[in-house]
Amino acid sequence: MSSSTRRQRSGNHLRAQGEPLIWLTGGMFAIACFMIIGLLGFVLYQGLATLWPRSYLLLGTLDGELVAGEYRERRSYVLSRQNLDDLLPKSREAAQSQLDNRSEVTSHQWYLRTGNFEVINRHFQFVPEISIASREPFHPPDIWLLERRQWGNLYGFPKKLSWELEQGETAIQAVRSAMIEAAKTNRLFERAKRELEQLDRRLSNARLRVREAELADGSDLQRLADDVLATAVNIPRVDDTLSAHLKPIIETASQKERKALEHLARETISVQSQQISINEELARLEQEMRSRSLVMQLPVLDFRGEVALSADSFGLSQTSCPEPLHTVLGLEGKADDYKMKVILISEGHFLVSLQQSNAIPVYAWVDIAASKNTAKIHALREHQVLLSDIVRLIEPNRLSWTGKLGVYGSRWWEFLFGEPREAGVEGGVFPAIWGTIVMTLIMSMVVMPFGVLAALYMREYAKGGWLLSTIRISINNLAGVPSIVYGVFGLSFFCYTIGGYIDGGPVKAGFTPWPETTWFSALALLAIIGLVAFTLSFLTGRSKPDGSIGRRLLSTGSGLLWLATLAGIVLLLAKTPMFDGFYQAQLPNPTFGKGCLLWAACTLALLTLPVVIVATEEALAAVPNSLREGSYACGAGKWQTIERIVLPYARPGIITGFILAMARGAGEVAPMMLVGAIPLTSDLPLDMEFPFLHGSRSFMHLGFQIYALGFQSQNSEAAKPMVFTATLLLLTIVTLLNLTAIWLRARLRKRFQSSQF
Amino acid sequence: MNRLKAIADGQDIESVVHDEVLSREPVLTIQDFSLYYGRKQALHHITMPIAKGLVTALVGPSGCGKSTLLRSVNRMNDLIDSVSIEGDMVLGKDSIFAPGVDVIQLRKRMGMVFQKPNPFPMSIFENVVYPLRIDGERNKSTLMQVCEQSLRGAALWDEVKDRLGESGLGLSGGQQQRLCIARAIASDPEVLLLDEPCSALDPIATSKIEDLIEKLKGDYSILIVTHNMQQASRISDHTAFMYLGRLVEMGPTSTIFTRPKLQETEDYITGRFG
Ligand SMILES: Nc1ncnc2c1ncn2[C@@H]1O[C@H](COP(=O)(O)OP(=O)(O)OP(=O)(O)O)[C@@H](O)[C@H]1O
Ligand SMILES: [Mg+2]
Repeated sequence: MSSSTRRQRSGNHLRAQGEPLIWLTGGMFAIACFMIIGLLGFVLYQGLATLWPRSYLLLGTLDGELVAGEYRERRSYVLSRQNLDDLLPKSREAAQSQLDNRSEVTSHQWYLRTGNFEVINRHFQFVPEISIASREPFHPPDIWLLERRQWGNLYGFPKKLSWELEQGETAIQAVRSAMIEAAKTNRLFERAKRELEQLDRRLSNARLRVREAELADGSDLQRLADDVLATAVNIPRVDDTLSAHLKPIIETASQKERKALEHLARETISVQSQQISINEELARLEQEMRSRSLVMQLPVLDFRGEVALSADSFGLSQTSCPEPLHTVLGLEGKADDYKMKVILISEGHFLVSLQQSNAIPVYAWVDIAASKNTAKIHALREHQVLLSDIVRLIEPNRLSWTGKLGVYGSRWWEFLFGEPREAGVEGGVFPAIWGTIVMTLIMSMVVMPFGVLAALYMREYAKGGWLLSTIRISINNLAGVPSIVYGVFGLSFFCYTIGGYIDGGPVKAGFTPWPETTWFSALALLAIIGLVAFTLSFLTGRSKPDGSIGRRLLSTGSGLLWLATLAGIVLLLAKTPMFDGFYQAQLPNPTFGKGCLLWAACTLALLTLPVVIVATEEALAAVPNSLREGSYACGAGKWQTIERIVLPYARPGIITGFILAMARGAGEVAPMMLVGAIPLTSDLPLDMEFPFLHGSRSFMHLGFQIYALGFQSQNSEAAKPMVFTATLLLLTIVTLLNLTAIWLRARLRKRFQSSQF
Repeated sequence: MNRLKAIADGQDIESVVHDEVLSREPVLTIQDFSLYYGRKQALHHITMPIAKGLVTALVGPSGCGKSTLLRSVNRMNDLIDSVSIEGDMVLGKDSIFAPGVDVIQLRKRMGMVFQKPNPFPMSIFENVVYPLRIDGERNKSTLMQVCEQSLRGAALWDEVKDRLGESGLGLSGGQQQRLCIARAIASDPEVLLLDEPCSALDPIATSKIEDLIEKLKGDYSILIVTHNMQQASRISDHTAFMYLGRLVEMGPTSTIFTRPKLQETEDYITGRFG
């Protein structure tokens, strides 16, 4: 060997050194990092920034408009000849000069949140920078932001309270303390409304009972029920005379029907009297809520008239109200009583505040004409707000840093634990969080036993073979089926078939029941098949596993028979002529025959089943065989070994898979759209009301919420901030779940580490 | 060497079993036992008695089927799908491979210790009483008593008596192996099967386990596989020499190691081949 000439090896060219590959791989890595960090950073920034309180500003445009809003950001856009037409004359001129001869230039616009939706019909406004006339935006210090239960935010200056201020009390103090009162009234109002709903439910339950009796006996109680109700209306109280009153009417009915009808009468009477008192209470509360209101001045201009006033009247040194201004605005008292403060918004445009001694100032907007001798006077639009409508009162331009933090915290608190307002665009997402959590928990309770038992069978019991391999590959592939397919399946199978079956029996689920004779013959046949299957498997269990053909046939046969029995049971259930469903009386309103919590959980369970099975199988495969053998050598049976050795050892892996499945399930949206998530509901899927867990309710879901707000709501621009906060929240939940999985795995794994030797 | 050559050529040979072995009362008799992994035959017509209360060593070159034979005794090979057998073994008076034998009941009469220590991922205490646990024993004092007895029997008691609640995985390799022995003797088996129990251990741990086997002898009948000739000569009463799935010679250890009947055995024992 050594004597033969060595092959010459080259080692000095580029590929051998590997430099380009370092750049290639490193570059790809960097791109991947960038995308991940970019996405996370984007969501994080948008989600966290949304609820942060911003300052409010006023601007004048070249065309003399007043622009007002909460400043969000400065965006670049392309200014081209086409969009010149959207601009008012003076702004257009400015734009034209900026364009010069080019067909387009990049310019900036300000993105403002305007609020005051019911007055100006928009939530947001873009202000092109070229049309801004003010040198500096003006941040009015005494602007108020009212976050309301309806119509979203309202920005404005306070003008008048419907009640008297106490001595030494400022307007904001008065409103804040009155808000506490109003909140109490509000709660009472809500509670009364809920009670009213409950009464309605009691009535409809009583009606349902009558309907059930009707269905059971196949009779028609409509006329009787009408008569009973007509009688009941005239009885003020439930007492012994009731039966006497009802007796002649319901004599003809059967025992069960009589009971139901009497129940209906009793419920009607008691509900009636309660309804009256609750309605009175509601009227009183509403009265109370209407009694406290405040009038705001919104930054929306109302032209009042043109008066002879020179520019000098609005010099910054001017402190008293000119007579013409006083007159045209129609202010009370004498002009001399008003102190005037003038703020120059832009050339020739002033915001004027007029204050009578210590009262709340009145604002006006003054345009000085080009001649400088006359002025157009505008008042700010007045708008009345009920105190009970206000959720939060902020002075955005007076907030200190800590104040902002406080508002931020309180907004997050509301977001996490509050009810949605304004169709989910404002307020909280608590129902969605709660719905997601409850649904995910039920999902895991469904998927866990199925997944783990299936994996146990595949790994511990089943003998290998092409069938098992096929099934295993199919399961792995199931994980790649688009989730919307699961949604469609869930809708048609769980909701319509199984749900329909539960509601109204086989007919509602789309099966034609067999006649009774056929059905009972089938039952007998099935019993025989089941018996044979049982006998066969008993026999094979007894005989020695010697791999003979006969035994193998026997065991295959018994397996097939068991399958046939199972299929037979399903068929018999589907074809039974004796079952009309549990909720027949409610029909045609579906109870379980629609998208609801239970079916959503089942659909997701199906979707996450592959994850659980694969993870469990892997965990089981990782259990060293020597442990199993050790256990068998001690005389343990198969199940004992699984229970005492295999499962404890595989637990970390199983739990990890389980949490990963939960994370996957919690983030899934597409199937949710079909099987039960709805954009808005005040009913929680798990609450204090009997029976606590409401499997048949539709629910809110975070992931679906993102979709619904972003793309389905009437004003998706207004909903956008909420979309990002909801995304951030969902991302946080999923991340937390994943972290828990990692932590748990690490912790449990430590317990099984053997010492090295 | 001609016998070994004959075996390698696939011919059947007559095993030589000394009369001293045949005259002892057996606890376990292997009767014309053959085993196949699929098509491949791993054991060929093995017939040998395992004497009661003595230590029987199985020696032979790697791959000759010692482990396979040992694992057949408690039907561990049932776990492998491809295995099929011919012949039978008899434990006491009961057949091991007859149809209808309750394998679990059978395994409860034997203890087995594997080549690599395999303590369960549970406390030392639970490890030892595992065979009782699966029998449904709940009585704390019984369990404690058995645990102490077995650990003392396995010469581990003094080392672990203060930390019975700790994980069995925290012990050293030698301790783990003795823990496995304690587990194997906890159910008071008739036969103890040891498959190279010292192969993963250092000399000190090895000698401890050898002492232990010495001590257990008499109470238990022990069948041990070993590659270490000195060990076999030190601890065993009978030695069986296997080659390529066949039993070549079996006799009292002293005879086998000094003047075996067959030249082949002597060659193997003295290390001239294998
Ligand atoms: N699970 C199995 N499947 C197929 N063949 C096997 C299996 N286990 C062992 N064998 C084969 O059976 C023969 C005997 O193996 P065995 O493990 O009994 O040898 P051994 O004497 O214990 O060897 P060593 O001293 O190396 O442990 C070997 O040829 C081996 O390849
Ligand atoms: Mg071996």
